[in-house]
Parts: sequence; C-alpha cells; structure tokens
Amino acid sequence: MADGPTPASAEAREALKAAMARLAEGDRSALEDIYRATRVKLFGICLRILGDRKEAEDALQDVYVNLWQRADRYDPTRASPISWLATFARNRAIDRLRTGKVRGGAVPVEEAAPLPDQAQLADSLMVDAEQTAQIHTCIEGLDENARGHIRAAFFDGKTYAELAEHADVPLGTMKSWIRRGLQRLRACLEASE
Amino acid sequence: MSDENGMDREEIKRDDPMLAAEFSLGLLEGQELLAARGKLASDPDFAWRKDWWDNWFAPWTDEISGAEPSAKVWDEIEARVRAASTHAETGLDSANVVELQSKVRRWQWVSGLTSAAAVAALALVVLPAGTDSVPTPGASEAPQIAAANPLVAQVPIGDTGLRLDVTYIPDSERMLVGAIGLTADGVHDHELWLVPADGTPLQSLGVVTPGEVRSVTLPKEITQNMGDGAELVLTREPIGGKPEAQDAGPVVAQGAFNQV
Repeated sequence: MADGPTPASAEAREALKAAMARLAEGDRSALEDIYRATRVKLFGICLRILGDRKEAEDALQDVYVNLWQRADRYDPTRASPISWLATFARNRAIDRLRTGKVRGGAVPVEEAAPLPDQAQLADSLMVDAEQTAQIHTCIEGLDENARGHIRAAFFDGKTYAELAEHADVPLGTMKSWIRRGLQRLRACLEASE
Repeated sequence: MSDENGMDREEIKRDDPMLAAEFSLGLLEGQELLAARGKLASDPDFAWRKDWWDNWFAPWTDEISGAEPSAKVWDEIEARVRAASTHAETGLDSANVVELQSKVRRWQWVSGLTSAAAVAALALVVLPAGTDSVPTPGASEAPQIAAANPLVAQVPIGDTGLRLDVTYIPDSERMLVGAIGLTADGVHDHELWLVPADGTPLQSLGVVTPGEVRSVTLPKEITQNMGDGAELVLTREPIGGKPEAQDAGPVVAQGAFNQV
C-alpha cells in the first residue's frame, strides 16, 4: 500500500476508469487498484469533514466496502471516476456526521478555505482543472457572505442550522443568504456550459 | 430561532434545482433530507440536477489536503469484502448465485443505474393490517436460473449507504434476497413487501436476514404479482417481523423490479 505519489495524469485517470469497469464486472482485484489510486484523496476528504482520524478511517472503510457492493451505481456517462468517488466519500462522511455519532466540524468556519498544500495535492488525483477554474470564477462572483457559508457547508459538512447558529443569525436569514448565492452560482455555471 | 424571519425582503424561490443544490452541499437534515432522498429515487430530473451540482462542487475537493490512512484500513476493507463474498458463495447454490450476481452487475453497468429504480413517494405508504401468507425461506434447493432473464430490484436502505439486492426468476417460485453488509441491531427486523400493481394489499416477502443472501420460496398468490416494474418496500418491525393484527412499521426503503 505504500506506493509512491499518484500523478494526476491522463494515464492515471484512464487506469482508474478501467478499474471501475472491472469492479462493476465483479473483479475483486480492481478494488485494490482503486484503493491505491484514490485513498489519499478520499481519506483527506473524510478527515476534513469528520475532523477525527479514527472516524475518518471508519468512514473510508465504508466507502470502499460500499463501492465494492454497489460498483454498479457509478455511471461513467455522468461523472469522471475521481469526481464521483470524491462525492461519494464526502457523502459517506456527511452521513456519518448526521447520524450523530461524531461531533464533527472540528475545523472552525473561519478556516474553511485553507490554501491548498501543493505538496499534498501532487499526491492525489485531481478532479478536473477546467471545472475547477469555472467553479472558482463563479464562487468569486458571489458576495463574501454567501461565498463563505456555501464553502463552509461544503468543506465542513455544516447544515443550515449549524451555520446560522455559528453566525448568530436567524435560520431564515442564513437560508436566504445561501439560496441567493446558490441561485447566482447556478446562473453563472449554466452560462459557462 | 424561528424559521423564515422577517429580515429577508428578497424571497428566493426554492425550486427543484435549488433543493438539489442544498442536498448536494449537505445542508439538509431531518424530514427535508428524507424527502430529498425520496425525490432522488423517484424523479429523474431531480437526480440529474443533483449530479449536476455534485459534478460542479467535486473540484473543490482538490483543495482539501490529502492524507494517508493507516495500513490497517485496507486490511479491514479486504477482510470485509472477502467475508461478504464468502458468505454469498457458501449461501445456498454458490455457482448459480455468483453467476447471477455477475450477470446482474453487467446489466446494471450497461443500462445505467438510475433507470433501475422507479420508486413512489417515500415513507407515505400505509400498509394494511393482517397480511398472511408469509413465505418460508428455503435454503435447501438450488435456484433454477437458466430459464429466463431474472427480475432484479435494488432497495437502498435509508441513510446507511447499503442496499438490498432482490432477484426473482420469472415463472419460478424462487427469489434471492441479498442483504450483504447489513447487520442486525438486535432490536428490529426488516420485512420486505411486494406492492401489487393492482392496488391490492401488500404481500409479505419475509423478514430479511442481515449479512446473507437467502433463497426464498414464494407461493403462487405472490408470484402472480411479480413482474417488471413491481414495487418493493422495506419496513422496520419488531424482531420476528410484523406482529399479527398490527400495522406494519415505518417504510425505510423501497425499490422496483426491472427485467435484466
């Protein structure tokens, strides 16, 4: 398992795609290939959401066991494997947060958007440079308030209620800040398609 | 803290794409989250929009620093996967079950996934009291699967990320119920029900055995209602299944059969 870095290369993406297809065919060895290629990224996501190493490792286990059981859920026409896997891992981590087993959100909202650590990034498979640029452009177009809270929801798995409590504003206010932001975000993203 | 507060002059319309965004970000909880999950299964446009948001948000994960999990994580994954596979293979008729599972997987791969679930409104199904003719699990005979293309249903279980895999061989009395990955909580059982298309009362398909693939023999009153599109619901019950003369427990999952 102690392999070297996984380059964010076209070959790596193709290899992952092939492994996902093999997994859907029921090939158990494909799971190990997928794990090698994606564990660093997916564990980072679980750790970020859950803020606890032990919980994050349990979540990571669930991610891959579920992936094995439900490999057929991945639709190659809808998302790249790494994009789908990242979303899947984040959802599993959030499910775990919501079950109340974890305190979660260990990282304060103010630190919700740290600068990416370049050394670490090189070690994990990237989702998609072009899409990244576009979502950045669009999120930067939002006012700071909406931007901050939408990012906090994404990076820390906060609910509306938690965000409102943290910002010390009524729930309705938080909802309308975020919804206004999401409405603009959608318009901006759709315009780019 | 009350909900909609008077501070907001500009009311934002909460249309489906908005709900999908909230769902994708993970802002929802409680009833709203359940409702969104139900919608995801029953509304292809909504599912499409949820994917759309997921795909746009996913690049943000590139900003999250990677981290190396400890080596034991893979060991445990491998052990769990092996245990699940061994279970399935030692169940009743290993060769047939494995062949069938592989066939089903291939089909799902080719056909795309969301099409597999035609599902009705979540948690609103009221089950009639006093449904008899509970089928008997029969693990002795091998299922005959050569004849016809099987019907398969995937029943995702609430927020667990797990699912039931139900396979029925048309014109037979054999059904496979796979509950790999599920564990018993010691307090509840889960009972599977067929929702006949003609509006007649739900028919019990028996209590699910967690962690196993079981073969179930069905009586004719049930098999006559099996077919492409036939719906299934899963309810949470006391140990042993729904007590006689009581309403069934809450619906925790649902799905529908599709022909492979």
